[in-house]
Amino acid sequence: MVYNKNSSVYSIQTINLTKVFKKRKHKGIFWFMKKKGKKETSGSSDEVTVALDHVNSEIRSGELFGLLGPNGAGKTTLVKCLSTILIPDEGTAIINGFDIRKQTPFVRASIGLVVGGERTLYWKLTARDNLMYFASLYKMPRGGTKERVKELLALMNLSDRADERLEDYSTGMRQKIAIARALLHDPPILLLDEPTLGLDPTVSRQIRNQIRELCKKEGRTILLATHYMEEADELCDRIAIINNGKIAAVDTPERLKAMVKETELVEVACYNPPHDAENYLRPLCPDVEIITLVRGDEAKGTPSRIKIIGGNAERHVGTVVDALRKKNAQITSVNISMPTLEDVFIKITGAKLAGGGTTQQ
Amino acid sequence: MIKRPQEISSLKANFFVIWSEVVKNMKFLMAYPVIFVFWTIFPFFWFIPFIFQGEAIVGGLQSASFAEIAGTPEYIPFVIIGAILNGYVLTSLYGVGESIRREAYRGTLDYLLSSPCNKAFILIGKAVSESINSTVYAIIQLVVCIIFFGIELTLGVIIPIILILILMILGLYGIALMLAALSLRFKQAHDLGHTLENVFLIFAPVRYPLQSLPFWAQIIGKLLPLTYALIAVRSLMLLKQDFPAVYEQIFLLFVIDVIAIFFGFYLFNWMEKRTRKSGAISQY
Repeated sequence: MVYNKNSSVYSIQTINLTKVFKKRKHKGIFWFMKKKGKKETSGSSDEVTVALDHVNSEIRSGELFGLLGPNGAGKTTLVKCLSTILIPDEGTAIINGFDIRKQTPFVRASIGLVVGGERTLYWKLTARDNLMYFASLYKMPRGGTKERVKELLALMNLSDRADERLEDYSTGMRQKIAIARALLHDPPILLLDEPTLGLDPTVSRQIRNQIRELCKKEGRTILLATHYMEEADELCDRIAIINNGKIAAVDTPERLKAMVKETELVEVACYNPPHDAENYLRPLCPDVEIITLVRGDEAKGTPSRIKIIGGNAERHVGTVVDALRKKNAQITSVNISMPTLEDVFIKITGAKLAGGGTTQQ
Repeated sequence: MIKRPQEISSLKANFFVIWSEVVKNMKFLMAYPVIFVFWTIFPFFWFIPFIFQGEAIVGGLQSASFAEIAGTPEYIPFVIIGAILNGYVLTSLYGVGESIRREAYRGTLDYLLSSPCNKAFILIGKAVSESINSTVYAIIQLVVCIIFFGIELTLGVIIPIILILILMILGLYGIALMLAALSLRFKQAHDLGHTLENVFLIFAPVRYPLQSLPFWAQIIGKLLPLTYALIAVRSLMLLKQDFPAVYEQIFLLFVIDVIAIFFGFYLFNWMEKRTRKSGAISQY
């Protein structure tokens, strides 16, 4: 493990971390034929995306810290900045006591990275060859590495398939090798970006258990970026909700949920709700805080859900049910439910945490 | 907790990076066995155009007018040596220059870049494995030449030729590092490599002597390591000169190597930092 005598109680600190991506607009093949009056200034020809906007956060040593947000919220950019793959435009971060801008090699030796899923390995090589190769990039001697690789393969329950090419592995097995790779140099900090993305529930559970053990039993600090609320809720000591490059809230899952606990929460599950359900129901429930439609995969039997949060939500149940029936919605259940992290996310950002990204109300 | 092995020194670590890269690339090669069929058959096909070209241009395999500028009337052996050495240029440019793009396609580039080793040594490892491939290929071609075209290879010139080849390859590594650096920024590694390939083909004496080029083109040719390697190897093999006759070429090759490798490392590390800043590092 890479120890730093200057490291504080925090393993990761971000200080005003900002990352802006500039994309040059295509002027077209005949741009030079444009009239002078129509010429754009050089400043306006770039599309600017603020991926991280002055992010400040502190992650304690040995903490399992969740970064929860929809696709495009800035999770991967933050992980890539912390792992030195990207250089921030403003601010910095201290990892294991080392500055990501000035002490890059030490930061790199301090972290294990899982980003990008199963496609980040060499499929034409065996699991053992993959791990042996990546170990060489971390100044590890060949002799000792062999033993280390053997132990990691055993940890992942893949010893019996160690000498098979990864092209013959399942997605879940490849993801386990990706995690084993992150552990090769025994880093005190793990940065995991969507480690269970695309995995079946059984393998997801195995990997979640492994993540929990790596933190609680081995004392590693883990930053887990995910858009799966259940995963963040189940695993994390604290969660930061990130949206549009900004940290909107940081707290324990319990405290975050308590933020919406005081208010009533009604969930109507139904098929075929009106597409503008929010606008349709809003005049009928003037005193509730939020009405939002979370689309389900109705073709596969998962109903859509209309969530009514705050105010006297329960009082409006009858009105809402009648109004939905009038619009031919088939109601399957009505629940006065416990708040979830999704409800917290909706309350904090005013947007839905769905697979395809946020939807502003 | 599983204990990690002790860290090793930088020098040893850089050697292991190169070695592991070579082993990895060789294993990739073994995963595609058709390449061995290509290696066995291609050297025979490869000579046929040169024979017809020689027949058409000089009216046979020897020419007095060619001898005036090349120093040897033998056109075919002249071109064969040019093509064998040019093989190293092709593998260096395409093998190394494009490797960054291939890693980005595979999704492994982020992991290579987030590791603490110097990335230029990963590229040197790729270059070494390409050079091993080129050498195997060159040996097969040379054997074919000795059997079918009567090219003579005396034992005395083998070691000087190996020295010249090593010096040429080092210079090519420097140029390949520059190409890899440019491919980080401009992505189109294949097009950049293709352009450079043609620069070598036109300005280095691969198919014709340097003297047949106009003066300005000769100056460009003299900036390329391949030029000095070709002049030196032809002097030893075709003109039967002694080793001291090529000292000048060896010295110039060495100077080019130092400049190319220094500039290649500098440009690659600078461009890597620049692309990490722009956020375009793993795009392709």
